[in-house]
Amino acid sequence: MFYQALDDIKVLEYGNLFSAPFCAKILADLGAEVIKIEPPGCGDPTRATEPFLKDAPEGSGLFQYLNMNKLGITLDPATATGRKIFAELLKHADILVENNPPRRMKELGLTYRAVHGINPRTIMASITPFGQTGPYKDYEGSELVITHMGGVGFISTRESDINKEPIKYPAHLMSFQAGLSAAAATLGALYRQRVANLGSHLDISEQESVIQNLNSAVAHYWYLHQIVARTDVLSIAPAHILPCKDGYIYNAFSEEHQWRRFIEVMGHPDWADSELFKDATARALYWDALKPLLLEWTMEHTVEEIYRWSQERGAPLGAVRTADQVVADRQMATRGFFVAVGKQTAGNLKYPGVPYTFPEIPRETPAAAPALGEHNAAVYCGRLGFARRDLVKLKEAGVI
Amino acid sequence: MVNAPLKGVRIIALTWVWAGPWMGAVLADMGAEVIKIETLQRLDIQRVFLHKGTELGMNNNQFNVTNRGVKSCTLNLKQPPAVEILKQLARISDVVITNFAPRVLPGLGLDYAALKEVKPDIILVSLPGFGSSGPDKDYVSYASTIEAAGGLNAAFGYPGEGPVLSGTYPGDPIGSMYGVVATLTALNYRQRTGRGQHVDVAQSEGVTTVIPEIIMEYVMNGRIRPRLGNRDEIMAPHGAYPCRGADQWVAIAIGTDRQWRAFCRVMGNPEWSKADRFSDQVGRWQNQDELNKLVAGWTKDYTNYEVMHRLQKAGIAAGVCLNVPQLIADPHIKKRGVFIEQNHPEGGKTIVYRAPWKSALTATNPPAPCLGEHNDYVFKTLLGMSDREVAGLAEKKIIY
Repeated sequence: MFYQALDDIKVLEYGNLFSAPFCAKILADLGAEVIKIEPPGCGDPTRATEPFLKDAPEGSGLFQYLNMNKLGITLDPATATGRKIFAELLKHADILVENNPPRRMKELGLTYRAVHGINPRTIMASITPFGQTGPYKDYEGSELVITHMGGVGFISTRESDINKEPIKYPAHLMSFQAGLSAAAATLGALYRQRVANLGSHLDISEQESVIQNLNSAVAHYWYLHQIVARTDVLSIAPAHILPCKDGYIYNAFSEEHQWRRFIEVMGHPDWADSELFKDATARALYWDALKPLLLEWTMEHTVEEIYRWSQERGAPLGAVRTADQVVADRQMATRGFFVAVGKQTAGNLKYPGVPYTFPEIPRETPAAAPALGEHNAAVYCGRLGFARRDLVKLKEAGVI
Repeated sequence: MVNAPLKGVRIIALTWVWAGPWMGAVLADMGAEVIKIETLQRLDIQRVFLHKGTELGMNNNQFNVTNRGVKSCTLNLKQPPAVEILKQLARISDVVITNFAPRVLPGLGLDYAALKEVKPDIILVSLPGFGSSGPDKDYVSYASTIEAAGGLNAAFGYPGEGPVLSGTYPGDPIGSMYGVVATLTALNYRQRTGRGQHVDVAQSEGVTTVIPEIIMEYVMNGRIRPRLGNRDEIMAPHGAYPCRGADQWVAIAIGTDRQWRAFCRVMGNPEWSKADRFSDQVGRWQNQDELNKLVAGWTKDYTNYEVMHRLQKAGIAAGVCLNVPQLIADPHIKKRGVFIEQNHPEGGKTIVYRAPWKSALTATNPPAPCLGEHNDYVFKTLLGMSDREVAGLAEKKIIY
């Protein structure tokens, strides 16, 4: 855990990859006890997902990040014994987080109705590509598919060929955002559980989580009947990503005085008097003339120089930071954002932490992600009363 | 409404633009009474973006999405008596949320210590771009510069090309959801311990938490991940392919040999698909440039919906690249009730979207408020002012 805020809460995670594990990670980082259920054999597929330290395929950095602070057990609820054990675990769970296809949960006898029957106060957070209802509920999803079906693929701003295909965001950003949204929904339900001692079912759709990013695009369509798609010509300038000596910077001036401060930084305060560059609209109109003038200066300086010089003068310029620059960022370092995790399989590395600080809540060093089935004995023997001998039988039967 | 978890929780929202208001809307969905403090002195720019030309000119769709279900009262906090009124309101509230720059509340005499003086267990949740502490806390931030600082843009773009802006700026709604998580965690903590606190959420750190693969690739192997467009680290075909019609695309993600064989069957097993280099996952990934062209040659003769339905029937993750009007009209999205048409007293017919989950716990809320719509409720009903007092304060532009 990072914070002991939810240390009286018990969570069962039955899912894989990104959205459900990230949702449960957020709860684990806030102190909840999360028992992660993985299939016997190879476990969660993110165990075999890049990156790996020095490219040796064990100890995935992604798995470590997503599953720190969790307990790990193996269980196959498709076996009759496995199902009984799952029910026992549910009796102790305040929250069940899962991201399985709805028909799979039905086959396993784990619908919300069944879960409610076993433990009426359990909150069940189901995260699926398209939700629990509707014509696509059983459709296959993936990061690529939910991103494009959520409407954001068309909307990036660029200067290249606008007829190119719509593109997805990097890595698994939209699946992570869905997991985060699910955590918000779950904590809302938890507040009620504490007051009313009642459970509930949360039907979280990854596609709908993508849609929450469309605020401005929906307004454009609704009012102006415009389909926002791969803008190459902007109505204001500069509002562009521009190359510099060692990377890229982004100009984000929304007010005139910010532009004036920026040209002062560049050593061209006289441009303020130029008819061609007199306001954001004019600068967009004459962008072809302005851009080379800006590049002449940006290409001489580094991301850090341009970023610091501009921001110190109140020009809201953005540093387009690559991973190395994010890791080295002085602001995040001062805030203690990157954290060492307890004993890791893959070296003593620092991971991204949590984006919040709770001054009143005790903070701890996060624990490393579990090895496959690491906590079988602790959970099955320690909590459910199995003898160690039983674990052997369960393993032989393919249950754990 | 009976079920809404946060019924009875009152939240003061010192919010504007996107991240703060969307956080307020989600908390209102959960049943909280969210009172947004606004002023004519400096309007929330979302009220006036894409100005629709209504009489007051203070309503637009973006505002209506992000301020769904909240109340509005006007207070010009530049005037000291307005600050005192806000403190009176804080005395009978549970939480203050804000996404103003970190210097703003202290500058108004409304830092956490001042709020705590009037309400000892009050919770303050701040949502600045870079956090409220650290050397760069006062750097000017927008959604676009936040995602750049967090490491998103540098990894986003077409293979072999420069970085692009997201255009949708997910850093803001990601910040909102982290803000909801922070608020609910602090409320849960207060419920257990009776203590409030100032929780600080750094939006740029929030962006970094959802792209851990990119960060850990650098930490583990010293590598900066290239921009991959729609490509995956191992899957192929994995992309958006052109379909019949102008700017129509379908996303297809093939993850396993079984899915590949099913995909070939749907295409009618064309001769090229039998090539040995496409027969296994690594071979397909290594030859993806050629493969993508061949797949595009097949998809272009069909509509994107045809391709999606046929592939999904065969168990393959495929989905239409939906633009906003297609999304609003999509049968699944309609069935799920994602977009809601509302009649706004000023804006007329408006369209909003709900939070990305369905739950029996969601409150039924009215549309976004008109400016100062709830002045009477706040000043007279809650704070017990007389008609004359309110009129006097309005005349002095304190209620303004």
